Formats: sequence, C-alpha cells, structure tokens
Amino acid sequence: MLSIQGLVKRFGDTIAVAGIDLVVEAGSFYGIVGPNGAGKTTTLSMVTGLLRPDAGSVIVHGVDVWSDPVAAKRNMGVLPDRLRLFDRLTGAQLLFYSGTLRGLDEETVRARTADLAHAFGFEDALNRLVTDYSAGMSKKIALAAAMIHSPRLLILDEPFESVDPVSAANVTQILRTYVNSGGTVVVSSHSMDLIQRICDHVAVVVHGAILDSGTMDFVRKGKTLEERFVELAGGRTSVEGMAWLNSFSD
Amino acid sequence: MVEQLLRLKLRLLGNAFRRSPWRIVALVLGLLSGLGMAVFVGIVLVGLRFASVSIAAQGAEVLGAILLFGFVIVPLIFGVDDVLDPRKFSLFGIPTGRLAFSLAVSGLLGIPAVATTLIALAQIVTWTRDPLSALLAVIGAPVIIATSLLCSRVSISVAAFLLSSRRSRDSAGLLGFVALVAFVVLFVFIYRTNWLQDGPAVFANIARVASWTPFGAVWAAPADAAAGNIGVALLRELIALAFLWLLWLAWRALVKLMLVTQPRSAEARSYHGLGLFGVAPISPASVIAERSFTYWIRDARYHTSLLVIPVIPFLLMVPLLIIGIPTPVLALMPVPIIALFLGWSVHNDTAYDNTAIWLHVASGTTGRADRIGRVVPPLIVGIPLIVIAAILSAAVYGAGWILPVLLGVGLGILFTGLGLSSVGSAQFPYPAVRPGDSPFAAPQSVGTASSLIQSLSFFVTIVLVSPTLTFAALALFFPGWWLWGALFSGIVLGSLFLWLGVTWGGRIFDRRSPEILGASVRN
Repeated sequence: MLSIQGLVKRFGDTIAVAGIDLVVEAGSFYGIVGPNGAGKTTTLSMVTGLLRPDAGSVIVHGVDVWSDPVAAKRNMGVLPDRLRLFDRLTGAQLLFYSGTLRGLDEETVRARTADLAHAFGFEDALNRLVTDYSAGMSKKIALAAAMIHSPRLLILDEPFESVDPVSAANVTQILRTYVNSGGTVVVSSHSMDLIQRICDHVAVVVHGAILDSGTMDFVRKGKTLEERFVELAGGRTSVEGMAWLNSFSD
Repeated sequence: MVEQLLRLKLRLLGNAFRRSPWRIVALVLGLLSGLGMAVFVGIVLVGLRFASVSIAAQGAEVLGAILLFGFVIVPLIFGVDDVLDPRKFSLFGIPTGRLAFSLAVSGLLGIPAVATTLIALAQIVTWTRDPLSALLAVIGAPVIIATSLLCSRVSISVAAFLLSSRRSRDSAGLLGFVALVAFVVLFVFIYRTNWLQDGPAVFANIARVASWTPFGAVWAAPADAAAGNIGVALLRELIALAFLWLLWLAWRALVKLMLVTQPRSAEARSYHGLGLFGVAPISPASVIAERSFTYWIRDARYHTSLLVIPVIPFLLMVPLLIIGIPTPVLALMPVPIIALFLGWSVHNDTAYDNTAIWLHVASGTTGRADRIGRVVPPLIVGIPLIVIAAILSAAVYGAGWILPVLLGVGLGILFTGLGLSSVGSAQFPYPAVRPGDSPFAAPQSVGTASSLIQSLSFFVTIVLVSPTLTFAALALFFPGWWLWGALFSGIVLGSLFLWLGVTWGGRIFDRRSPEILGASVRN
C-alpha cells in the first residue's frame, strides 16, 4: 500500500530525515514512534505530498506521490500536525469544504458529515466556528475531514494529542473497524502505551533514521514498547545535580 | 526592581539586534525615522523661539497635543506587541505599585521615549523668553515625558488586554468604521475650507481647542506665562498635572487587574446550516469561492481592505483639494483608484490562509480551481461597486458621455489586477498577518520582498492597462469614437489578462504548492 525508499530531507546543515525505507502492507495499523525532533512529522509530510523530499520516492497504491501527485493524493486521507485549519468556517462548513475538494457530490458530503459528527460526537459543535473549538475538538474535526472521502490510506500525525480518553477510545474503535475492512492506517505518536495497544506494526525513528521496524511483537522482543524504545533511543540520561530541588526555599 | 526591569528592557532591545539582518535593517530604519522626526520637530520648536508668542504658542500646542494623543491612539489602532506586558510578571509576586512604577519607567528605554525627550527639551528652548515661562517649560518637560510614558503604557495594555479576545479583534472593523466616519467629517471640513484665505484662522482655532485638552495644556502653560496670563498658565499646568496623576491611578489599577485576570476566551457564536456553501453548483472552484467569500465576510483582515479601499481615493484627493485642483478633474480619480486597489487586494491571498492551505495541497486541488475561487469574491463585490462609482463620478463630472470611459478603465484595471494577483499570490506569497491576529499588526517576519512585490504589482497593472488608459486620455479631448474604444479595450483586454493570469497562476500553483505551504509555515 505504502512504500518509502531512501527518503532524505535536509534543512540547511541539519539532516532531518536521513534515508528512510519503509513498507506498509495493505490492511495494517502502523505506528511510528520517536522522540521529539526525530523526523516523524517531516517524514509524514513528504509521504503526503506536503513537503518536497531531497531524495527518495514514495509510492502509494502503486502511484508515485511526487511524479503523479493528483492520483496519489486521491488515495490518502491526511491529518497533519500543527497546521491550521480554515478555522473561520463552522465545523459543518469545514467538512463540506474538505469533502468537496476531494470530489464528493453534495448529497454524499451531507450524509457523511452527519455520520462523522455522530461517530466522533461533535454534533453539538457543527454550527460553531472551528476557531472556537478546544484543541481536542479541532483534532477530531480534522480527523473527520481526513476520512470523509473514504481513502485507502490514512496518514495521521499525532491524532490523539489533547484528545480526551473517551474520544480517543471512540476514534481507536473507528480506525480498527476501518483496518479490519481493508483500510491502512499510519499513525505517529509519543505515547508508547497507545501505539502498543492499537497498532500491529511499528517503526522506531530516531535522528531521522529507522532503528527498528516490523510487527509489534518482533520489535518489542518480549518487553514493553516503552522499555524497548528507551533501549533503542540510547537509554535514559541519569539525573544528577538537581539536589537543590529537594531542599525547598521559601 | 526598577533597575532590574531597565536591564531586562535593555537586554530585550539588544537581542532584537541578534536576529536576521533584515530585522536589524528594519529596526535601524525605525530608529532613524523616529529620531529624524523628533529632530525635525525639535528644530521647528527651537525655530519658534524667534517667532511671536501667539505663533509659537499655536505651533507648540498643536504639535505637542498631536504627539501626546498619538501615544494613546497608535497602540489602540495598530496594536503594539508589548514586550513587558504586566501579565508576564503575574507569577513573580511583586507588589503592584512597585511593578506599575518599574514598568512605566522601563518605557524610558525605547525610541518613542527618546524622541519625546528630545522634543520636550526643545520646547524649553522655545520659551526661554522670561523667567516664569522658562520655569514652566522646565517643569513641563518631565511632565511631558511622564505623560507620554503613561499614555502609551495604559493604551498598549488596554489594547492587549481589553481588546484581546478574538471576537473583539474581529470587530476591529467597527473601530475602522468610526475612523471612516471621522475621516469623512474631516474631509468635508477640508473641502469646505478656503485654505488660502482662512487657513491661519482655522489653525488658531485648532490650537485654542487643543490647549485646553489634557494633551495640549502642558505645552500651552509657558505660552500663557509669556503672554502675561499667569492665572491661565497655572490653571493649565494644574490640568496637566491632574491628568498625569489620573493616568498613574489608571495604570496602577490596570496592572492590579491584569495580574489577576486570565486571558479571556470569547463566547462561541452559533451559525445555522452551511451559510454560503452549496449556493452555487458544487465543484472545487465554486466551493473555494464560497469559502473565500465567507472569509471576506467573517475575517477582520478582509474587512480592513473593504473599509480602506473606498477611502483611499479621497485620502489622495486631500492634498490636491488644498492646492486647488478643480472638482470635475478630481471626480475622475475614485473609479480607477478603487479598481486598482481591489484588484491588488488579493495579490497575497494565499498567504492569508496561512498553513491552512495544506488542505488544498493534500487534497490535490487543481491550481486553476484555487485561483478561480480567490478572484470570484472581488469580482462579485468589485463589478457593482465600479459601476455605481462610475455613475456617481460621471454625475459629479457633469457629463454623461464620460461613463463608458470610466467603466472601461475601471473594469479593465480590476480584471487585469486580479489576473496579475492570481499569478503573484502563487509565485510570490510573502508573510501576511496571521488569521486571528489584529488586522493592523505587522507580520512576524518581514522581508525586503514584500514591498518590492507590492510596488511591482501596482506598476505592472498600470503598464498592462496602458492601452485602455491611452484611449481614455484621447477620449477626454476628442469624445466620440475613443469613448467606445476605452470601454471595449478595457473589458476585452482585462478579461484576457484575467484568463491568462488564472491559467498561468494555476500552473504555478500546481507546480509549487508544497513550496507555497513551506512559505506559510515560515510565516
């Protein structure tokens, strides 16, 4: 479904992504974990056609994203991290807008908007401006907008950040059903617990390179994902010289 | 405390120089223009030392009142980024009075305060005429400086604090409307006054009113003493001191309030249905146009251009009126100027979306649909506006036959400008005010590119419209065939350039949409 080969991105002197290769089979729930600044967002931006890579190729459902972007983007639903939404629209308008840009007809957009609002639990908020939404609500509406055109592949960058536990469970349920019916999901997250719970495959990215990837059990090697991750990412720095914090001043 | 805050301010100023070279250039230019203005006003005030008491009084009162009032009004309208916002100190537990005083004093380190100090010293020179007026001027100098500091502190905090919620920022349009009304009144006043004959008397009247306001009183007191009106002089000095005391109380109260108040969140308003969406037959281009139109209605940044564009021609007319250009000639100005600015208004439209443009990139929206969507709202607003303005202009001009010329020139400039904007906003988006920021705020990062692109897009529009302008000029002197030539060439050439611009701009968008998104991320 998704195949990444030799992906490289430099910003000035810093190398954000240093040659990533990854294959994601159709019907898998793929997690990408890594510390802050590991290059997760940069990689996903290059996969979704938002950031031009310096080298390498991205193939989605047999189509190269960077040589035939229009066809490749049709198969992808995207939730980017830290990019704005058209937030002077109401939730309903934003979904209508996203669906229409994806080529849906009016009837379909209206029906799917109602379904998505029900599934994600933001029916009450549909007529409010997105700019008045909380961070979690904005994430949910963006997630709904990403799947409104029923793509084959969902690329979700930090989809659970600031989403409350109940909504997160809902979203997880929706994504699981989607994967079971043949959809493919790639999510990035800081939360090892979450990735361990919901994903069947995982890749560990550190300093713009993949340290380990494969099925969840293969990567974990009998430990929790968090323990294994800390081990791969170079271990914990021992905390010293903070003794003053334990002697309180007035 | 005072010393610490002064050091902090100095450090912040110093760090401003460590940023990008163009930032430093902008800073140095600001410094030079601020100080240059102060030196200029200072020289005028020193020069007034040799004028008669009444002339010197009028000059000092009007200049001084404008200066102090500026400290109040500029932050309210333009929204100044407050580096020493009292709320930033709320977690340190500093006594309110000390914090308020220290923050006010820290304002001394800044271009405005240095400029004011120069001017306050210069007005002492103006009144070195007799001991009492000199004494009052010497007392006045620190009062002027303190008043300017407190005026700007109170005004900046009010702007940052009371006007900070999104809803009230969006209603900055209301403030613009008030300014518009004030401007119209001023314009009528300027239009009705015969400046060559009554100018000095009008100026004296303005000075008389200014001298009794809290902003002008401190400048007027030494003048009264010089003219021998000791009682009036003391009264005005008293007004100035009372005003200063009130400002201090207001500032302290404001700091106290700000320290314990959370940033407000606006109450959410509810809308019904899909609004404009679905009005036109559904397609990417139509839905982008509907989205764009919704933004023209809801977003304060677009309100600003809608409010400013009708005013610009009259603003440009003011100096021409004063030097006595006849009204019929001036009547020809508004249509082309409004058309020029309307066409230009969307030349950076892509940057207004900020990073939200990712949706167009990720969904593979064609550049053509994106371009068409953005030019539809200015067309729907612009065409009726230009037709109405052309009819009004023709009426004021006093000849109906001029109408085709005005329509041809107006529509030609609008269409050509929009075509050019379609190319410009795809090829050269530059940092714009971010969504939700005050529409008057300066973008966070500015480059040399922006002003170059702005002036270039005006210039190229005029070059492209020059055939129509030539026909129009000929029509003014040889009415007849040329009238229709101007109308025809304006509409046909304009439509051609619009079509070319949308097509070419669309291709550029298709090719460099990731780079456009990249540019918005850096904004």
